[in-house]
Amino acid sequence: MDTINLFPLYLSFRVAFTAALIGFLIGLPIAYLLSRADGKMIDFIDTLINLPVVLPPTVLGYYLLVLLGRQSPLGLFIEETFDIMLVFTPTGAVVASTVVSIPYLIKTSKAAFLEINEDYLNAARLLGRHELSIFCTIVIPIAWRGIAAGITMAFVRALGDFGTTLMVSGSIPNKTLTMPIAIYDALQAGDKDTANLLVLIMTSIALIVLFTINILERKMKRG
Amino acid sequence: MLEVSCEKSLGSFALKSSFTAQKGVLGILGASGCGKSMTLKCISGLSRPDRGSITLNGKVLFDSALKTNIPSRRRNIGYVFQNYALFPHLTVCQNIAYGIKNLDKRLRYQKATEMTRRMQLTGLEHHYPSQLSGGQQQRVALARTLIKDPELLLLDEPFSALDSHIKHLLEKELITIIKNNFDGIVLLVTHNVEEAYRICDHIMIMDKGENLQIGTKEEIIYTPSHITSARLTGCKNFLDVTVLEAKDNHYILKSNDLIFKAVKTNQQPSKNMIAGIRAHHLSLSSVDTEKANSFECDILEKIEGVFSTTVILNCKGCILQAEISKASCPHIADGNNRKLMLHIPPKRVFLMPKP
Repeated sequence: MDTINLFPLYLSFRVAFTAALIGFLIGLPIAYLLSRADGKMIDFIDTLINLPVVLPPTVLGYYLLVLLGRQSPLGLFIEETFDIMLVFTPTGAVVASTVVSIPYLIKTSKAAFLEINEDYLNAARLLGRHELSIFCTIVIPIAWRGIAAGITMAFVRALGDFGTTLMVSGSIPNKTLTMPIAIYDALQAGDKDTANLLVLIMTSIALIVLFTINILERKMKRG
Repeated sequence: MLEVSCEKSLGSFALKSSFTAQKGVLGILGASGCGKSMTLKCISGLSRPDRGSITLNGKVLFDSALKTNIPSRRRNIGYVFQNYALFPHLTVCQNIAYGIKNLDKRLRYQKATEMTRRMQLTGLEHHYPSQLSGGQQQRVALARTLIKDPELLLLDEPFSALDSHIKHLLEKELITIIKNNFDGIVLLVTHNVEEAYRICDHIMIMDKGENLQIGTKEEIIYTPSHITSARLTGCKNFLDVTVLEAKDNHYILKSNDLIFKAVKTNQQPSKNMIAGIRAHHLSLSSVDTEKANSFECDILEKIEGVFSTTVILNCKGCILQAEISKASCPHIADGNNRKLMLHIPPKRVFLMPKP
């Protein structure tokens, strides 16, 4: 047992945490926009955002490689300007898990935003507040449980990502080897002890998270 | 003074609102979905009209020609929503002080406390909206709005969220509060003619996005200018009439075999018109009278209500509906007579153009 390497556990948490944070910063404004606006363009964006949920992870990983790899203009630009390499690096893993997890955050937050009565916003507007102030004092406080549920969901989804991460960042031990991939590797190598331990950890996390989301959602319904 | 003249397409019909309102309470009366609330939304800037202009006390709020559209937050208009829209996560005190964030903290606290006292909400400062009764919620909504000293107060069906037995009490209370604390223009949207009559000074009738008539409440009730106005204010009897004769102060009208008298109103006369008469203005008696404008009629049906009985009758080929108070005429309301005398008060008949 003492030979078990816990690096994948640490890396997975770091990647999932970063992915959830990025998702929160980018996804929340998008979710609010989607909940307040409508039109063909909005429908299109909505569809595009949900694509990672239905696409096979390998397809998604392939797209990311094509889009952000060293041969693509965007990948080259990022590499030259920010000195950030995406392929076969932990950063790549963050990008991959952000893309697969953000739809969950957006979907859940959007539902929470949609439940807010438009009259609250109108009342605040007529009381002299501008939109950003309304977002911070009315929208977020009323929808926070939904948003929290969305972030948690995105976090678990990022934590459990296998295919897309493998395609983008590979499985370099002590560099890009995340938990789900480590479990696969351990099984392949016949190391049942490691596999069992990692599986147990993943299952416990999933259970705790689902339980939290359930509580949040029940409270959200009660208001 | 508020001057509104705007148009907005609303799917199946277009809103064409054009009116002016002075100090006092103007009621906007209309069936649901006729564009009443949309009118308020356009005035307050929550909805953008397609064309037209809105001016409040000389300040242009919206003008499509000048491309002016002042955002809601700078219009200084108070709006009480149908369900009050109190912020559920803020206490009564926080709700009331929400609109005066720009003031100094001490002044803010002072104003909020003063408003709480004036609205008889003292002791409830730290309650949440869900812990309040309907009437208290209404007062919080009003306090939150009035604390900003708005130039115009808009009330969107303020009583529809309340139980009917406390509606009357709250109506009186609300009006007293508004009269004591607000000296400006009030627009009240309602679909209830009784409510409009009790609360408002002037009434505007709206139908399918257009305002049909605007005037004092007495004018609206006693001389509706349009059949829809009459119907919306609860008139049940409409007769197709031919004007046989126009005398100095009255007309002789004929509908089927019924020939009766009606006092002249300022409605422009033409040969064929519609005559309206409210059901409770008709009176019935069981004895022959020599009273003018009285006719023999047959009772077709009686519908008993709690305090009055509705009698459907046939008077020389005209089907009319009369509402008889049970307390004042028990023998008519409860009796079994099939033949009665109907009296049509000439003063209560109003003429309207044919649509």
